[in-house]
Amino acid sequence: MRIPDEERALAEKARAGDHNAFAVLVRLHQRRAYLVARAIVTVHEDAEDAVQEGFVRAYQALDRFDTAQAFGAWLNRIVANAALDLARRRKVRTTDELSDALQSPFRDPAVDAELRSRLAEALAELPERARSVIVLHDIEGFTHVEIGEMLGIPGGTARSDLHHARQKLRGLLQDLRG
Amino acid sequence: MSDELNFPGTSGRLDPDSLGEPLRQLVSDAYGPVAGDTEAYWAGLEQRIMSRVKSAGVSETSWWTVLGPWAQAGLIAATAIFAVTSVINRRISDSETQTAYEMALQSPTPEVDASAAVLASDKASARDATFDYVLSH
Repeated sequence: MRIPDEERALAEKARAGDHNAFAVLVRLHQRRAYLVARAIVTVHEDAEDAVQEGFVRAYQALDRFDTAQAFGAWLNRIVANAALDLARRRKVRTTDELSDALQSPFRDPAVDAELRSRLAEALAELPERARSVIVLHDIEGFTHVEIGEMLGIPGGTARSDLHHARQKLRGLLQDLRG
Repeated sequence: MSDELNFPGTSGRLDPDSLGEPLRQLVSDAYGPVAGDTEAYWAGLEQRIMSRVKSAGVSETSWWTVLGPWAQAGLIAATAIFAVTSVINRRISDSETQTAYEMALQSPTPEVDASAAVLASDKASARDATFDYVLSH
């Protein structure tokens, strides 16, 4: 596989102190890392902080990176940990704050404003972990096992969280979906 | 017909538990970056990340850069100091023991102590004699 080999070489160069090589890894992985962080912390500014912190931690831990595994998977676990740390520090967020945070980034003007608002409210009502699991699985396509590794829970728990989170989200938006 | 094995979830079947595409798309949009998915936004984020990585990396590197070359020399110096200190302490200790031994050999037996012992012995004999006299009468 071409990309992992290329990434392994970049990681080895970065480990030897090559900042340009690490910058290429940042370019390749920052979008996904952002979405992992955003799934956990919800708020855009917090997600940016978590991504930056995650990349710094990854850079400092390059000596411990096993080049036999994919750099992206390793990085995402570190970013998820940074996001979880941030989420713990900023535990208390009101539903209004979360709802606002989720409403602002909509980019499609065709989507009805009320629908957007209701979805944001529904997402904000979900427990933090349930929201993270839905986004990581249904939007980002991570497996239950990968999500479990990121969030520090068993894969079976991630699967069951996902089921309950989907059920709750559908329930909250039932009148809109009909 | 293909011989390829089809595992559950990979055969294109719809997951009955799934959110459904419209809702999934809405959630996906809700979690996009505020500034939009533009090259300028990602270039800016990359710059900020690299700026933090460089500042964090420099401080970490400086630890090793500074300590690395000095570590071996420091270890040798510490070992040498420890060895020299041990030898000096040993010599001082030997010298003190020798001096104390010589002093003990050279000092004469104090006469006062001997006469005091004789006096004490005389006093005990007198007391015994008095006691015998009282009992015999």
